[in-house]
Amino acid sequence: MLFNSIDFAVFLPIVLTIFWILNRYAGLVTRNFFLLIASYIFYGWWDYRFLSLIVLSTLVDYFVGRYMGKVIDAKLRKRLLWLSVSFNLGLLGFFKYYNFFVDSFVDSFSLFGIQLGQVWTLEILLPVGISFYTFQTMSYTLDIYRKQLEPTNDFISFAAYVAFFPQLVAGPIERASHLLPQLMKKGKFTYGQASDGLKLILWGLFKKMVIADSLAPIVDDIFSNYSEYSAPTLIMGAIFFGFQIYGDFSGYSDIAIGTSKLFGVELMSNFKFPYFSRNIGEFWRRWHISLSLWFRDYLYIPLGGSKNGKTQALRNIFIIFLVSGLWHGANWTFVFWGLFNAILFVPSFLMGSNRKYADKGTAAFGTPIKDYLQMLLTFILVTFGWIFFRSSSLQEAFKYIGGILAKWNYEPYFHPQGYRLIDYFLIIGIFVCYEFLISDNERKPFNFKSRIVRFTIYTLVVFGILLFYDDGVDRSFIYFQF
Amino acid sequence: MIKLLGKILLYGVLVLIALEILVRVFHLYPEDPPRFIDELNVEKRVPGYTGYSVTGNRRQNFSEFRINKQGFNSYRNFNPSESKNELALIGDSFIQGFHEEYDQSIGKKIDQKVDGLEVYEYGYAGWDMADQLHLINAYKQDFEKIDHIVIYMDYPSDFHRATYEPNYKRIKLLNSTVFKLRNNIKLFYYASEIGMLDSVKRFVSGKTKDSDNEAEEDIVDSNEKDEAAGTYISNFDSLLKLYPIEKNKTSFLLDFRTTPKEFLSYCRENNIKVIDFGKLFEKSKVPVTLIYDQHWNTHGRSLVAKSIVKSLYPHQEH
Repeated sequence: MLFNSIDFAVFLPIVLTIFWILNRYAGLVTRNFFLLIASYIFYGWWDYRFLSLIVLSTLVDYFVGRYMGKVIDAKLRKRLLWLSVSFNLGLLGFFKYYNFFVDSFVDSFSLFGIQLGQVWTLEILLPVGISFYTFQTMSYTLDIYRKQLEPTNDFISFAAYVAFFPQLVAGPIERASHLLPQLMKKGKFTYGQASDGLKLILWGLFKKMVIADSLAPIVDDIFSNYSEYSAPTLIMGAIFFGFQIYGDFSGYSDIAIGTSKLFGVELMSNFKFPYFSRNIGEFWRRWHISLSLWFRDYLYIPLGGSKNGKTQALRNIFIIFLVSGLWHGANWTFVFWGLFNAILFVPSFLMGSNRKYADKGTAAFGTPIKDYLQMLLTFILVTFGWIFFRSSSLQEAFKYIGGILAKWNYEPYFHPQGYRLIDYFLIIGIFVCYEFLISDNERKPFNFKSRIVRFTIYTLVVFGILLFYDDGVDRSFIYFQF
Repeated sequence: MIKLLGKILLYGVLVLIALEILVRVFHLYPEDPPRFIDELNVEKRVPGYTGYSVTGNRRQNFSEFRINKQGFNSYRNFNPSESKNELALIGDSFIQGFHEEYDQSIGKKIDQKVDGLEVYEYGYAGWDMADQLHLINAYKQDFEKIDHIVIYMDYPSDFHRATYEPNYKRIKLLNSTVFKLRNNIKLFYYASEIGMLDSVKRFVSGKTKDSDNEAEEDIVDSNEKDEAAGTYISNFDSLLKLYPIEKNKTSFLLDFRTTPKEFLSYCRENNIKVIDFGKLFEKSKVPVTLIYDQHWNTHGRSLVAKSIVKSLYPHQEH
């Protein structure tokens, strides 16, 4: 079920009403059981067959967690951890990476003139959100193993934590220590929290429907026919993709966080205006935060982080960026994208400036011109990286870049459906200015004291959705494929 | 929760009112002049309406229309007489021409090319061959005075039926309270036109977007069959028997590129005159249709006008 669909518009109020009635008049188990069923319905709307994977993952991690909590023997605890990690990564590996690894294996032999054929690949459908919920459940057993979390005896609440529908298919990737306790107690409906939730949903819908969905046909056209276009168009395609993916993914996160708020649940922030970052280090603290933190806590730090000298730290940086790239998709383009970002990150790490803006907020009006230039440079570098992310193969990505470098002649670009191009530049311009205005708090997009100002902005946001609505566009979220 | 619901309701209503004002101020809503079926069973527009035809979310096409005294979108009223030189141009939305300014119509372009000629444009969106031939038959007295008749032919959509039946049901539906309400609440009309209500309709009817597309594909597949071509020719044949045309002054305007050979052979065998605009379209280096809307643009209209003039008034073109 998509957040931006009529199905969800009907589903949410029904589930919400029953949830709060049960919260008041029934026990916690009943309430969470209902939430679990609702989450399974939400997921099963795409393909009910893949529900079995979520159920399996839930069962394995629940029982491994419980058993691990009782065991003192370190070796056995480790074995149990490996059982959980192997199972979850096995699921991910089979459904997401099997064909990729087989193809890569066959291709590597063909480099030496040996043709193995491609008989081993399988026609496997990628279950929606598998990368998200496997990481979420793994964090549960990892935290128990590290003795940072007590295993729960409440299976229903645990299952509801794994399948909690607002963030099930595209995050934020929550930790059990943060989300599970919220589900294991009776919530209280508060006007402020629900109102903030609705505002985030509205802002998320705007980002998705006005920014991401309206740019999608242009980006698809330019990336599919890159050989026909000149450099200015190719640059425009890369920039538009940068906004498309941001609108798409941060829009999803806003709707997820907003929806959770309606249930009295607070999720972690996933985006903090990443395009206003002043260096790559800051960008990665603002983009897909839940994944970055996951890799930091469960990969980078266990590998030694930056404690054992610069060489090992550099190795660890490259590992997390490469794995992060691979996490996004079974394609070398994502691996290269990870590598590219690691290369961008290394200079600031070596100069010690990667954490320069860690404790500071977003640049606000009146910041020195140098900050704006740094933002622009960071945006250009990140946008360049998006070319690898969006291209269907490494070869195409390099040809695309080749086009940018070589075809410096101006040719006008026409929207594939004939819309005026100026509309998109205008809406992006307005969007960037507005995001800059609200950049002190990513969870309050309409934080204005004046009711008239707030009302005007609500109206303009809905008006924007009307102006850019397109029934023909594929409205699914990009990150569902990851 | 009651406070929240109350505020949602209040803000919802106020936002809707503000949107209605915005849609009206920027004239984003389309206008569709009312339709009716006259005493001769011809479906057309109620005379005397002027307004703007709008397509797209952001006014991708915005053009003025003018419904004349005879109930058709035209720069002139129709007043056929024996003494004047007249040409009747009959067709569907392509001839009706709501998608471009009414004073830039094909008729006007022909008018400007041929001295002393009056062009009457009988265009109505949704008409097929049955409608068009019925029109000539119903307005026999007028058409007898007109010197040339050009009927726009869109294969195969014009040939799905062999008899004419006025569609009272549709007119009744368009004049129903729901539709009147839709037309008066501009925000609702606008949302409906940009497809925003389609997903609601699909949800209510239990249909999916895919099932809609599959249905369309089925029609395309069946159209490609040879038997279908035979049926279309047979329908055309029946219509011509029912509403005989004056072959010496009637021509069919068509695109050779999209009309099957069998159909063209039928026309040749039955001495039916045809005018092809496809050749000029093919040669054109600039687009002939609007980008957002696939109707002819001003250049396309000029080429269609040129094709007609070249065929009917070869010595008078200037």
